[in-house]
Amino acid sequence: MAGLETGTMSLTRRDVLIAGSAGFAGVALFSPPSARANDEALDLVEQLIGRKAMMSDRLHLIMPADFPTGYTVPMSLYIDSPMTEADHVRQMRVFAPRNPLIEVASFHFVPQRSLPRVSTRIRLAKPQHVVAVAEMNDGVLLMTTTWVRVATDGCA
Amino acid sequence: MTTPTPRVIVPSAAAKGEIFQVKTIISHEMETGLRHDDQGNVIPRKIINKFVCRYNETVVFSVDLHEAISANPFFEFSLRATESGRLDFVWEEDGGAVYTLSHQFTVG
Repeated sequence: MAGLETGTMSLTRRDVLIAGSAGFAGVALFSPPSARANDEALDLVEQLIGRKAMMSDRLHLIMPADFPTGYTVPMSLYIDSPMTEADHVRQMRVFAPRNPLIEVASFHFVPQRSLPRVSTRIRLAKPQHVVAVAEMNDGVLLMTTTWVRVATDGCA
Repeated sequence: MTTPTPRVIVPSAAAKGEIFQVKTIISHEMETGLRHDDQGNVIPRKIINKFVCRYNETVVFSVDLHEAISANPFFEFSLRATESGRLDFVWEEDGGAVYTLSHQFTVG
C-alpha cells in the first residue's frame, strides 16, 4: 500500500550515488536522450523506491526541452487512466536526478474525484532527464523521462 | 519575508459529473535550506511541504512538495463536480504554520 511513501526522508544526490555505487555509473542521466539514459533512470527509480518500474507511454511528462531559467520550469504531468475504483493511479512522483535534492513532488489522486493530471513549476539545477513515476492501484510502477536543458541553475 | 497569501481560481458552479479546473497559488519563497546568507550561515529551510484540497471534507487531491518546487507554488488540477458544498484548500509550511482558503461550490 505505502510502497512509495518516504515519510520525511530527504534524498540527496549523494545518497543515491552512494547507494548505487555498485554498477550505477550515473553518467547517462546527465547527458542528452539515449536508450541508456532510460536504463539509468530505471535503476535510479529502483534505488529510490525499492521496486522495479517499467517505461510506459501512458505516462506523459511535458516540459520545455530548452528553458532560459532553472528557477521556474513549467511541468505538466498526466497519465491515461480511467480513474475507476478498479483501475486508477494512486500517485505520481517526480524526480530531478541532477538536483542537489532529487525529490520534486508527489501528487496524489482519488478515483472518481480527480483527474490524473497536474501542472506546476519546478526548479532545476542543471540540464538533466527529469523522471516521473506513476504508482497504479495494483502496485505497478510506470515511468517516463523528459530531457530538459536549463541555462541557469535554479537551485543556487 | 513576504506573508504567504493563498489564492484560488475555481468556478462557483458546475453541472453534476462535469470536470472543472482548479488553479491555486500561494506567495512563498520556498527557501530550500541550501543557500547561505552574507555571513556564510545556512539560511534554514522553510517551504510549503504539503497542499491538500478537500471537497466536503473528503481529500480529492494532494501534493507532497519538496525543495524543487518553485517559489510561489502553483498547481493546476481537475476535479469532478459531485455535489454542492465546500472546497477547502490547505497549505502546510515547515514549522507548522497552515494557510487555508474555502470556496462554496454549487452543483446544478
